[in-house]
Amino acid sequence: MSLAAEAFVSQMAAAEPWPENATLYQPLREDQILLSDCASSLAVQAYLRMCGLPVRVCCRANAEYMSPSGKVPFIHVGNQVVSELGPIVQFTKAKGHSLSDGLDDVQRAEMKAYMELVNNMLLTAELYIQWCDDTTSSEITRPRYSSPYSWPLNHILAYQKQWEVRRKMNAIGWAGKTLEQVYEDVSQCCQALSQRLGTQPYFFNKQPTELDALVFGHLFTILTTRLTSDELSEKIKSYSNLLSFCRRIEQTYFEEQDRDGQSGTSQLSKGPSLI
Amino acid sequence: MGTVHARSMDPLPMHGRDLGVNPDDLEVVEAEQETKKEILENKDVVVQHVNIEGLGRTKEDYLGYEISDVFNAKNLIDVMKKSHEARQKLLRLGIFKEVEVLIDISEGDDALPNGLDVTFEVTELKRVTGSYNTMVGNNEGSMVLGIKLPNMFGRGEKLTFQFSYGTKETSYGLSFFKPQPGYYERNFTLNLYKVTGQFPWSSLKETDRGVSTELSFPLWMTDHTLKWEGVWRELGCLARSASFAVREESGHTLKSALSHAMVLDTRNSAILPRKGALLRINQELAGYTGGDASFLKEDFELQLNRPFLWGSVLSASLWGGMIFPVGGRPTSIADRFYLGGPTSVRGFGMYSIGPQNEGDYLGGEAYWASGLHLYTPLPFRSTRGGLADLFRTHFFLNAGNLCNLDYGEGPHAHLQKLAECIRWSYGAGIILRLGNIARLELNYCIPMGVQSGDRICDGVQFGAGIRFL
Repeated sequence: MSLAAEAFVSQMAAAEPWPENATLYQPLREDQILLSDCASSLAVQAYLRMCGLPVRVCCRANAEYMSPSGKVPFIHVGNQVVSELGPIVQFTKAKGHSLSDGLDDVQRAEMKAYMELVNNMLLTAELYIQWCDDTTSSEITRPRYSSPYSWPLNHILAYQKQWEVRRKMNAIGWAGKTLEQVYEDVSQCCQALSQRLGTQPYFFNKQPTELDALVFGHLFTILTTRLTSDELSEKIKSYSNLLSFCRRIEQTYFEEQDRDGQSGTSQLSKGPSLI
Repeated sequence: MGTVHARSMDPLPMHGRDLGVNPDDLEVVEAEQETKKEILENKDVVVQHVNIEGLGRTKEDYLGYEISDVFNAKNLIDVMKKSHEARQKLLRLGIFKEVEVLIDISEGDDALPNGLDVTFEVTELKRVTGSYNTMVGNNEGSMVLGIKLPNMFGRGEKLTFQFSYGTKETSYGLSFFKPQPGYYERNFTLNLYKVTGQFPWSSLKETDRGVSTELSFPLWMTDHTLKWEGVWRELGCLARSASFAVREESGHTLKSALSHAMVLDTRNSAILPRKGALLRINQELAGYTGGDASFLKEDFELQLNRPFLWGSVLSASLWGGMIFPVGGRPTSIADRFYLGGPTSVRGFGMYSIGPQNEGDYLGGEAYWASGLHLYTPLPFRSTRGGLADLFRTHFFLNAGNLCNLDYGEGPHAHLQKLAECIRWSYGAGIILRLGNIARLELNYCIPMGVQSGDRICDGVQFGAGIRFL
């Protein structure tokens, strides 16, 4: 299909309302999904719940390869397939659902800057700890990543992925960092987020935005995931307003919505709870 | 008595049957020999020595099996005939560029009055040869660069490396071949390969990296191949617009399969046969030796040819196959059967029959297809032989069906499903034979029994193929 035709199709799709059978695909929750993928998936789920868009979560061992961008999660809505938070936000906006419409230009720029900060710091730190820390990669990451495959494919794919991530770390200059430096980066990022949040319920006061969904996805996942050491989650726990921010979103958008049994959102999919 | 040069006989092509010896040539050789039998007198002789000259790295013991029969010759005609056969056998080994036979009376102290010496003058192939050629497969072309190390260790071993750059795929392969000494047809092959393929009818892209070992041997009139293959398959979507059913199949799988193939081929030519039959049966068991894919696959091909009126040939063929998933795991899109195209069920698009999702064909678990052809030589041709012999006109009738099977329903329901909604087509066209491995067809087709979702090609259809219905 040509580019113009593709654009036309997505325009047409944008006009259609959000269907009941929208599905979000992510790797297997129990045995396979990694910290970084889990965080991205939870961010998208939180965002869609904030928009009030129902989505069913479906776990597939090959979710990464099904995704058009090679990254999880992705959503299948009607006959459209969209992956990652940024494009999904654009996609929902085209369908008339947006969280950041109330913001002015300065706020919007600020939101984008903080989202970049989270992606560049938290996400990269998660990837670093997963794949570049030898203990974590050999004890947790590689066994989990390769769990759906049989020998010898499991080793080939895990090492291939590790090599790919390490190459990316090299390119962005993270390869020379020590684990301590990475923890320090995470701590600084959390400090910046904590200062911006202050005593507000959400980053831009009363209404949640995609930034809130993204921060929640990452912090909540780090807090509830057991790694080889607790140091990463300890860094976050020292910021009490971030903890209560996570708790607030969990209660508002996951527990309450599930209790209400709203259509389509009844499948709780974020895993363990904070309490 | 003087020297007889066996060179006077027709030089034989250097390759085996599968590489394109035209069997018509062989018939001519036999006829020539019979005329010689009348001219030469039948005198009793004894073959005293058989020498092979020009050997470099080839081990002599490896050739002993091929030439030993020459000693059994009792008269001159026999010596010539057996030397010729030995020469043929030597050439078939694929390690010599040239083989000449020299028959002379024995000389020296122990020479008998009726003793003969037979000398094979051979020229070995170079240690390393390179090749460059173009290939035509099922609707695609490619350029192939190859490096070959024939007769690597002196006993017929062959190492081949191929790199192919094609319109649809790029691939490479390394293969090691070892025949049993004295029994060339019994051989062992080890392959390492990477193959990339694009299948636009399914919006599917497949990259295979694999290892396979193969054992081939003849048994009575049939050729058998036993094979184990371990292949890492990576499936992906060809475009963003690929259907979700194809997207769901994306990712990595490992297939480990044991397979057996049997071929019985009595046809006089592989591409435009006048007479004879072909029966090919394939069976594959995957999953038993590990891997993610587990199924049992059965597939057969039958073709019968017989001469008809005024030089025309009547040909009938039948294909069929089934794949049974084992252990509750569904079959992969890469293992299922596809049908349709200019060399199978004509009048339909390439592999564009049967189950589909948003225009992407997903293949079926069972299929059958049949064809009835009447081949005739081109009208108004001037002489026998020449360019016109590469062409035929044909009239055809094709039919076939492809579907998925629900395994709860039982065999009777399956048969009924395959008998429903049969796709068929008829038409006429021109065929061009390309060497002895492929053919081009230009047909006018009228598809019938079209089901919703099938892609048809109503009218002129052009295609090339190595396997045809």
